[in-house]
Amino acid sequence: MSPSKSDTTPKPNVTDRIWNLFTSLKLVILLLLILSALSIAGTIIEQNKPLQEYYRYLKPSTVALFNSLGLLDMYHSWWFVTCLGLLALNIIACTMDRYAPIMSGLKKKNLLLDESLEKSLNPKDKIKYALPLNDIEQIVMELAGKSFGGKPVVTTAEDGSRHYFFEKGKYSRLAFFFTHVSVLVIFIGALVGSFFGYKGYVNIHEGEMINRLETRTGKMQNLDFSIKCNAFTADFYPNGMPKDYISDLSVIKDGKEVLRKNIKVNDPLSFQGITFYQSSYGALPEGAQLEVRNQDGSLLGVVEAPLSQRVAVPGLQEQVEVADYQEHFHLPDGSEGGAAVGVNIYPEKGQPFGIWLLAADPAYDKMRNGPYYLLVKDMKLKKYTGLQVNKDPGEWFVWLGALLMIGGIMVAFFMSHKKLWVCLRKDKKGRTDLTIGGTTNKNRTVFVREVEGIIQRLKEVS
Amino acid sequence: MNSSLLFGISIFVYFFAMVLYVSFLAFRSEGLGKVATGCLMAGVAIETTAIGMRWYESYQLGIGRAPLTNLYESLVFFALTIAVVYLILENKYKIRTVGAFVTPFPFIIMAYASLNPNDIQPLVPALKSNWLISHVVTCFVGYAAFAVSFGVSILYLFKARAERVAPKTPGLVLGYVPDSGALDEISYKTIAIGFPLLTIGIVTGAFWANVAWGTYWSWDPKETWSLIVWFIYAAYLHARITRGWRGTRAAVLSIVGFSATIFCYLGVNLILSGLHSYGGGR
Repeated sequence: MSPSKSDTTPKPNVTDRIWNLFTSLKLVILLLLILSALSIAGTIIEQNKPLQEYYRYLKPSTVALFNSLGLLDMYHSWWFVTCLGLLALNIIACTMDRYAPIMSGLKKKNLLLDESLEKSLNPKDKIKYALPLNDIEQIVMELAGKSFGGKPVVTTAEDGSRHYFFEKGKYSRLAFFFTHVSVLVIFIGALVGSFFGYKGYVNIHEGEMINRLETRTGKMQNLDFSIKCNAFTADFYPNGMPKDYISDLSVIKDGKEVLRKNIKVNDPLSFQGITFYQSSYGALPEGAQLEVRNQDGSLLGVVEAPLSQRVAVPGLQEQVEVADYQEHFHLPDGSEGGAAVGVNIYPEKGQPFGIWLLAADPAYDKMRNGPYYLLVKDMKLKKYTGLQVNKDPGEWFVWLGALLMIGGIMVAFFMSHKKLWVCLRKDKKGRTDLTIGGTTNKNRTVFVREVEGIIQRLKEVS
Repeated sequence: MNSSLLFGISIFVYFFAMVLYVSFLAFRSEGLGKVATGCLMAGVAIETTAIGMRWYESYQLGIGRAPLTNLYESLVFFALTIAVVYLILENKYKIRTVGAFVTPFPFIIMAYASLNPNDIQPLVPALKSNWLISHVVTCFVGYAAFAVSFGVSILYLFKARAERVAPKTPGLVLGYVPDSGALDEISYKTIAIGFPLLTIGIVTGAFWANVAWGTYWSWDPKETWSLIVWFIYAAYLHARITRGWRGTRAAVLSIVGFSATIFCYLGVNLILSGLHSYGGGR
């Protein structure tokens, strides 16, 4: 084989082959299939649950394996993100690949209806008129102008024939760019959001304020203002279904209230690009009044225990601490025990341990069979509101991308680039020969019907 | 007269419409076909009235909300949209023979809906939003278009097989349905309606989620499955537009797409847990 011969039919080099791979339909279909299969897996294995939830139905070794493979947070795992990245590269390559043909499709204008063009058109027809050219021109302008929006490009050829080029929906060819670039814009929005934004969660007690919160990644995020919860209200319908969760919030900056708003589930508060959403609520005791009794029921003493503070039990070398609260406590047998206070006990010797006291059952702790038992005599609950916090400077890209995508898809499906040519030729006797033909890139059936309608009406002219 | 009674009547009317469409296919009488179409229209009219009444009744109960918020209401609305989308296409493409393959859907879905609790419950806080109607309507009209495309694709597979096996003497029944090329085109046109609507449904859902929960995409099972459905139809459109996939391969993709749609709608609510739990049974 001579070198010159191999030059004329070059083997595709590595770059070309990569390029061909990234512009191939196979890769798109393959990526969409892989992404679908992975996504399905992600809906079967519940994502981002606390680890102990998985232990309930999986072996510890399986949980460890899944965790190390990223299967428990797979939508953020490197392999899932890689697939999304490949999809983005794929879209970029295809968009570049289609750029030149689409642009030339916009520019190319065969203004003259010659024989070779005529052959490629459908539908097409020829009509002979006994009328002068100017009369026919008037009618053509009127009939074709109606469906093809406006005036044609008129050219007079060297042989004296006049050519009319009508065109509509030229820019619908750009729909391809809109739909594909839109996906990239959405990806950019997601990236901007994950690099420059954060999501977090914070509980605020009524009457208290916060100026920092913990993000989902576990970091503490400082705000340069404070959020105060003035009040929280939960409304219920008569049948007990929740009606509204409302937090009365104030934004405090430099010691002054700059904004106040009642937020609800579908109505968050935004300040300086950070948005606070009503997410949950609850109550914690500010403290509890506990009675200490001997097993025979005789009173040993009363303890005033503020939340999270150790206090001494009268007459004993032990301390207790009110540490937790549950509005709906589940008893070991699965039934509901009502409100319960979680208390840590610090004995003189040995390990501290936690117990639950039921507000409605003063003898509940007696079953522990300790040297004494505790009961809740009184407690003061303090409501708190739970807020989802989100800063996402990328969301505007996402909405822009979404609009581009919807617009692009609409144009791609429901608009087409339609072209129509009419040629008028005067013969020696002052009669007129008309040639007409059109073409389109989509929706051919509708187009043919439309142009045949125009031809029919032109034929009725005499 | 209340909405429950009207919903009950509409089940029977849809049943008769289905029987009439099948008879029309069997006996090929033009008159029977017109009665079938009329019967389906009557079903649509009765069901629309019923939905309107349910809406009105919710105001009388002091609740006042659009009837689009639980499994029962969504099934009822799904049945209606399938019937309406089918009637529009029947009128546009003159495909009354396809009716036998599409009209079982409204009947079966309404019958299934009637097994679910149908008392009018007030709205939970998460559903109190102006996005509710636009999100639900666009999604379900999209689903309905996919359902019609599914019916047409099934018919396509029968017809294409008949054309292959005996090109000259198609069966009595199948000889009467449009040729496979036309069925293929109708299936595509229907997906071309459903896909933009599904896209709008996903975008309105994302926007709503961002207002309610502070995140436009959280890979919740419903979101993920709607994305899978979107992927399948995107693959269908790309294969068809850039590689000219037609016929059997396209029909199979359309059938796969609708199966995923049904899982996205019912499977996710009934089997998987997630943020859309109010769409599930109780």
